[in-house]
Amino acid sequence: MTTNPDNQQQSFFLNMGPQHPSTHGVLRVLLEMDGEYVRDAEPVIGYGHRMQEKLGESRTWKGFMPYTARLDYIGALPCSHGFIGLIERMTGIEAPPRAEYIRVITSELNRIASHLLWLGAFLLDLGAFTPIMYTFDDREQILDILEDVTGSRLTYCYFRVGGVSRDIDEPFVEKTHAFIRRLRSRFKLYEDLVTGNIIFIKRVQDIVQFTPDMAMRYGVTGPILRSTGICYDIRKNEPYSVYPEFDFEIPVGETGDCLEVYRVRMREMEQSLRIIEQALDRLPQGPVLAKTPRQLKLPQGDASFAVETARGELSYYLISDGGETPYRLKIRTPSFSNLSLLSELTRNVLLSDLVMVLGTLDLVIPEIDR
Amino acid sequence: MGTTIPLPPGLLRMVFTAVVVIALVFLNSLILGYVERKLAGRFQLRPGPMEVGPHGILQLMADAVKLLGKQFIIPQAANSPLFRLAPLLAFVPVGAAFIVVPLSQKLQVRDLDVGLIFIVAVMALNMVATLIAGWVSNNKYSLFGAVRSVAQSVAYEIPLLLSLVAVVLMTHTFNMQEIVLSQDHIWHVVQQPVAFLIYFIAGMAETHRAPFDLPEAESELTAGFHTEFSGIRFSFFFLAEYTNMFFVGSIAVVLFLGGWHGPQLPFMDYSAAVWFLLKVYSLLLIMIWVRWTFPRVRFDQLLNFCWKYLTPIALVNLLVTAVVVKL
Amino acid sequence: MNKTDHLINELGRLPAAVNRVDYRQQGYHLEARLQAGQVPAFAELLRQREFYLVFVSAVHVSPAIEIIYQFACFARPCRILARSTVAADGTLPSIANIFDGANWHERETRDMFGVVFTGHPGLELLLLPEEEADLKPLLKEEGALKPADQIRRAPDEEVQDTKPSTTAEPGAKEPKGEHRQ
Repeated sequence: MTTNPDNQQQSFFLNMGPQHPSTHGVLRVLLEMDGEYVRDAEPVIGYGHRMQEKLGESRTWKGFMPYTARLDYIGALPCSHGFIGLIERMTGIEAPPRAEYIRVITSELNRIASHLLWLGAFLLDLGAFTPIMYTFDDREQILDILEDVTGSRLTYCYFRVGGVSRDIDEPFVEKTHAFIRRLRSRFKLYEDLVTGNIIFIKRVQDIVQFTPDMAMRYGVTGPILRSTGICYDIRKNEPYSVYPEFDFEIPVGETGDCLEVYRVRMREMEQSLRIIEQALDRLPQGPVLAKTPRQLKLPQGDASFAVETARGELSYYLISDGGETPYRLKIRTPSFSNLSLLSELTRNVLLSDLVMVLGTLDLVIPEIDR
Repeated sequence: MGTTIPLPPGLLRMVFTAVVVIALVFLNSLILGYVERKLAGRFQLRPGPMEVGPHGILQLMADAVKLLGKQFIIPQAANSPLFRLAPLLAFVPVGAAFIVVPLSQKLQVRDLDVGLIFIVAVMALNMVATLIAGWVSNNKYSLFGAVRSVAQSVAYEIPLLLSLVAVVLMTHTFNMQEIVLSQDHIWHVVQQPVAFLIYFIAGMAETHRAPFDLPEAESELTAGFHTEFSGIRFSFFFLAEYTNMFFVGSIAVVLFLGGWHGPQLPFMDYSAAVWFLLKVYSLLLIMIWVRWTFPRVRFDQLLNFCWKYLTPIALVNLLVTAVVVKL
Repeated sequence: MNKTDHLINELGRLPAAVNRVDYRQQGYHLEARLQAGQVPAFAELLRQREFYLVFVSAVHVSPAIEIIYQFACFARPCRILARSTVAADGTLPSIANIFDGANWHERETRDMFGVVFTGHPGLELLLLPEEEADLKPLLKEEGALKPADQIRRAPDEEVQDTKPSTTAEPGAKEPKGEHRQ
C-alpha cells in the first residue's frame, strides 16, 4: 500500500456480488477497501426487481395472493398471512377460528423453517460446512409436514380470504408433535456444537453493535431489533389473528451484537414451538373456510396490515378505489430496511466480518427487490 | 524403490522412481479425496459419493476425467505464461518431497542427511505457487487469497520449525531415518507433547485446511487464489493440497510418532510401511474431521494466535528442551 | 392512550391535522395530513418521540402525487399514517437526514414516481436499471388516474381531513364503493 500525501491510506474498490456466494442471492455490495478493512460498503440492489407493487395494481386481490409467497420465499406463509389479513380487514370477512389456528400453526412452522435455514447459512458464511446439513435435515421435516397440507414446499398458496384451502388432519397433528419433540432434542446438539464453539464466539461477538437508536433511525425490526433489548414484535404489540390467545414470550437480547442476534433467533424457535404446541392442543373444531362472495370488490379507502415475519415487520398498505384491483399496493419488507443499515454498520470492519454481518441480517433478496 | 529391488543402472532407476513417486502422489490424492468426501458425507448425514462404482469409489476418477476434458480458461487480464506455470509450480515440489519420506527402513528414495530440512523447504515452495497463482490472475479476490496465503505461511512456518527443532535437539540429526531409529523405545510425542500439538496446528495452517483455509475461504473470497483456474490445472492445486497434507502427516509420524516402528504384522512383508501409512492416515483423518467441524477463524485472529500464543510457547518449549538436553 | 392524546396535541401545534382512525378497520391509529413544508418538522417530532419509519411511498392521484409516510412506535402500539402532496414542481423536502432509513425509501419513490426529494444526500436509482431511469412505472396512465377523493374511505367520516376541494362531494363516489360490513 502506498500512502497519499494527506496521510490517507490508498483505497480500492471491491465488487462483491451479485454472484458472490455469501450475498445469498443477487445482492451486490460495492466495497471500498483498505487492505482487508472495509472503509465503506454500499449495497446495490434491484437485480431481482419484479415490480410486485405494479403487479399488485394489475391483479385482482385473489390473483395477487400467490405473489405474496414469492416475497420472502424462505418464510412465505407469514407474508401471505399479512396480505390475507389486509383483505379481511378491508372487507370485514372473518375466518373461522379453526382456520385462524391453522394459520398460526403453519406460519410458526414456516418461521422455524426460516430460522433453521438462516442458522445453517450463517454458519456456512463463517466457514463451518457441516451445520447446514443438520439444519436442512430438520427443515426438511417441516417442509414435509407443510407439503402434506398445503401441497407445496416453498412458495405456498395456502391461505384464502376467509380461511385456509385445506383442513389439517390427524396425521398432520401427530407429525407436528413428533417434529416438536425432535427439534427440542436438536437444540441441545446445536447448543453443544455451535454456541459453545470458541471460534464461533470469537467470530461473532462484539464485532458490530446494533443499537436501539440505530434501529429507530433505519426502521430495523425483527430479531436484530430485539437483540438490542427492545421488546417489539408485531405478534405482541399489534396482535393479529389469534396470537393473543397463546402464552409465549418475545426473546429479547441485551448487548445487540451478532452473537445476541443468534441467541434471539434460537430462542425464538423455542417460543414458536410453544405456540404450535398450544395451538394444536386447543385446536377448535369447525369449518376452515368461510363463505365469501365470488366477486368481491374491496371498499373504497385504504388500510394497512403489519405482520411479524421471520425477518421483522412486513406491512402491506393498500389503497382501493372500489374496483376489483387495488389502486395502490405498498409492500414494506423487513430486509429492505435491515439492509439499509449495512453501510453505517460495517465501517472499518474486516472483509470476513462483513460477510458475517450480511449473514446475521438474514437477507432474502427477492423480498428487498420485490 | 530403494534396495529392495536389484539396482538398475542410474538413469533407469531415476525414471522408475519418478514414475512411482508421481503414481503415489496421484494415488494418495485419490484416496484422500475419496475418504474426505465420504467422511464429510457421513459427518453431514448424507452418504457422500455413491454413483460411480460401488460406494462411489471411482468418483474421483470420473472427476479427473471430467477436469481433463474441460477447457482451460485464461482470463484476458491475466499474465498468461505465469498463469499456466503456477499450477505446475504448486504440483512439482510436492513430488520432490516424496524423495525423503521413509516409508520403512529400506523403502526410501534417498536417505539425505538433511532430509528434514529438505522436506520442509520443498513444502514451503507451495506458498510461492499460491502467490503467483493469486497475483497473476488479476482478480482482487485471488490477490486477497495470495496475500493471505503468504502472510499465513510466513507466520506459521516459525512455530512449525521451532517445534521440529525441539526434536532435532534431542536426536542431534536432520536425517529422517536416524530420527525414526532414535524412537526405538519411546516415541518423541511422549517427551514432546507440546511440540507435537504446535506442529500439528501449524501444519494444518500450512496446508490451508479449515479452520485455517483463509486463502480459499469460499464464503469470503469466492475461491481465493484459484478462483480463475479451471480444468486440469485447477485440479493440480488439489493434488498439491492433498499431497501437502500427506507430508505434514509424514513429518509428524517421523518426528513424533515413531515413524515406521510398530509390531511385526503376520503375513506382511512390508509391515513397517503399513504401520507408517496407518499412522499418517490416522493423522489425516483427524485433519479432515477438524475441517468439517469448525468454523473458519478470522484473518487477524489467525495471525494473533500464531504470534501471541504458538510462537512464544514453541520458543519456551525449545528452551526447556535445550536445557534438559544439556543436563 | 393519554400519550396518544398528548402526541396529537403536539402534532397539532406544528400545525398538522391529525385524526384518530379505527385501527380494526384501517390498521393504523392516527392519520395526519401535512403541507409539504411541514414534513421535516413532523418527522423531527416523531423522531424525538421515539418513532421509527415504517415506509415512505407515494400514490399517483390527480391533481398531484401524494406522498405517504408510515411511522410506528416500539414502545406502544401507535401507527401513524401521514400524507402530503408534492409541490407544483414535483419536489418535497427529504427526511433522510432525520430518519436514515428514509434514504432508500425516498430513492425508491423517486424511481417509481419521479418525485424529487430536496435535501436528499444522494437521490440515485435504487431498484430500476440505468437505462430505465425515466420509466416511473407506478405512475398511472391517463384513464386509470383517479382524483384523490375517490380513494378515500369517506362515507361515515365527514370530518376526514382531506384537501378542501375534495371534501365537497362525498356522495358522488358512493355507488362505486362496496358496502362495508
